[in-house]
Amino acid sequence: MTHEIIKIEGMTKVYDTGEIQVAALNSIDLTIHKGEFISIMGASGSGKSTLMNILGCLDRPTSGHYYLEGVDVMEKSDNELSAVRNKKIGFVFQSFNLISRTSALKNVELPMIYGKIGAEERKERALELLKNVGLADRSHHMPNELSGGQKQRVAIARALANKPQIILADEPTGNLDSQSSVEIMEIFTQLNRKEGNTVIIVTHERDIAEFTDRIITFKDGNIIRDEYTREVGQC
Amino acid sequence: MLVFENIMLALTAIKSNKMRSFLTMLGIIIGISSVIAITSIGDSAKGVVGKEFESFGMNNMYLYPNWELTQDGVEESDLITPEDIEALKARFPEDILYAVPNVSANSDTKVGRVEGKFSMTGVGADYGKFKKNLSILHGRMINKSDVAGGKDTIVIEKKAAMNLFNKENAVGETISVVINGEMKDLTVVGVYEVPSSLFDSMFMSQSYSAYVPYPILVVGDGSAWAVELYTNEKKDQAALGNEFVKYLSRIKDKAPNFYIFESAESQMTTINKVLGTLSLAIGAIAAISLVVGGIGIMNIMLVSVTERTREIGIRKSLGARTNDILMQFLIESMIISAIGGVIGTTLGVAIAAVGMSFAKIAVVIDPKVIVLAVGFSAIVGMFFGLYPARKAAKLDPIEALRYE
Ligand SMILES: Nc1ncnc2c1ncn2[C@@H]1O[C@H](COP(=O)(O)OP(=O)(O)O)[C@@H](O)[C@H]1O
Ligand SMILES: [Mg+2]
Repeated sequence: MTHEIIKIEGMTKVYDTGEIQVAALNSIDLTIHKGEFISIMGASGSGKSTLMNILGCLDRPTSGHYYLEGVDVMEKSDNELSAVRNKKIGFVFQSFNLISRTSALKNVELPMIYGKIGAEERKERALELLKNVGLADRSHHMPNELSGGQKQRVAIARALANKPQIILADEPTGNLDSQSSVEIMEIFTQLNRKEGNTVIIVTHERDIAEFTDRIITFKDGNIIRDEYTREVGQC
Repeated sequence: MLVFENIMLALTAIKSNKMRSFLTMLGIIIGISSVIAITSIGDSAKGVVGKEFESFGMNNMYLYPNWELTQDGVEESDLITPEDIEALKARFPEDILYAVPNVSANSDTKVGRVEGKFSMTGVGADYGKFKKNLSILHGRMINKSDVAGGKDTIVIEKKAAMNLFNKENAVGETISVVINGEMKDLTVVGVYEVPSSLFDSMFMSQSYSAYVPYPILVVGDGSAWAVELYTNEKKDQAALGNEFVKYLSRIKDKAPNFYIFESAESQMTTINKVLGTLSLAIGAIAAISLVVGGIGIMNIMLVSVTERTREIGIRKSLGARTNDILMQFLIESMIISAIGGVIGTTLGVAIAAVGMSFAKIAVVIDPKVIVLAVGFSAIVGMFFGLYPARKAAKLDPIEALRYE
């Protein structure tokens, strides 16, 4: 039996837009074990991003429980949530979300700055992370000087800066061509297989989902399917 | 805290928006430079006043009745008689070095076809010794025998000699003047010069200054409304003045404060006080422009927070805490304001220097003022940056990330 790193019980998220209330998540239950490689699929608007944002402690659910490593996230203060985002979770966005006019290196250093890591160690680690994603020679480039695939690799390097256990990626290949998409997915696979990271990826492309071990399918705020594509192997 | 990182961040943000940053600073620059310029000009003027007073002797003093206490003008008995002066000198032999009734007269004169007007001051024998900035160019100053004999002599200023006699050395020439309704021919015994002073331009006078032995100006028994003294300069002038008027009031059988004194020192204090108040008042007005500058900073910081909403969301998603964001924006507004303060200080000093060089006055810049100005502008930046920074810090991470 592996460690339950994420456990969600009866989670509901209702967006109140004034006239209408949208239930983006409808009393979801979900358990994720440490070291899993998961993809979340479903039509646009089915609640995938809503779930990811809550998992990433960027948003709070309307009701229900979210236990991260056994601790109820709802109980945490804003500063504690900041620390969780900083240390425990690496978030990768579809739109990269690099800070403009800030070099790749500085972007990767950011989580370490907020994690109070010394300047020297920070730079050293950022360079190594960039090297690991194949961008050693691009460290001083600005985001607007990088291709989509390169931007996403910088974003992944940044997500890994403080060695988080959990990697959350919301449609990381959504803005990329198929070649870059495969490269990005290979990085995630490596992280999961070699580093033992728990990786959760949102995608609506079947062949991207195929990289993962478990596919969870959403529809209208509900999980309609949760299947293992292959044996959950090593760990 | 991430102070160093935030400073670097702020500098990058300022650099990447040079024109906007400069315009934002402009309010602070104008405010600080005017405060600095005005206070430096004030301080410089004070320095000049001090030198000016020193040049004609800080131990100069006048005693006279307090006009406010004399009900219907000065009465005969209020005037200071030669006996009173002798009594004062006898009572304070150590402290009164020179005492002469304060008498003066104005008269038109004509030398050949050149007309002129003299403003004559009656002086005693040693006047030249006490009036420190007076230098005799030709001849001599009024001396003992001129005073003792009430001789018809006059010492004129260089300008008068040049204009009336067309030469600097006018010793031996004669000047006809009217004194107390009587025509008198005065022999020029000396020509003097005083270095040009700040007051020349302030009290532009059409007449020439001159010194004559005081006895030729006095009327009647020699009483005058005031007495001019030179005192022991090693003593506290205010204390001496108080003793003198107390004694004078007593021997004249008047109320203790009937006579009052005015010393060069007390005049200087008064002028300095006026200058100080003046520059404080103008400085306060200039300080208002600092507030306006602060509002400009607040405005731009609010724009900047809105523009950078997404960046704030990204930072929060990466683990920035509320305080980290607060500090980032606060430090940015403080740095903008402090840079404005430094530029403003430089500009203010330059304005003061240029202004003073026109007035041929050495600039006095109080380092305290500079420290205060830069510090104050940083505080302005902090104060007006607080609201935008709090607005940024309180943004919800997911809403900030969604911001388009
Ligand atoms: N900020 C929001 N305000 C109101 N409704 C929202 C907001 N974000 C998402 N929704 C709604 O919630 C539902 C789920 O959205 P989302 O989780 O983004 O879907 P997905 O990522 O699967 O496309 C959608 O119907 C969407 O319109
Ligand atoms: Mg989505």
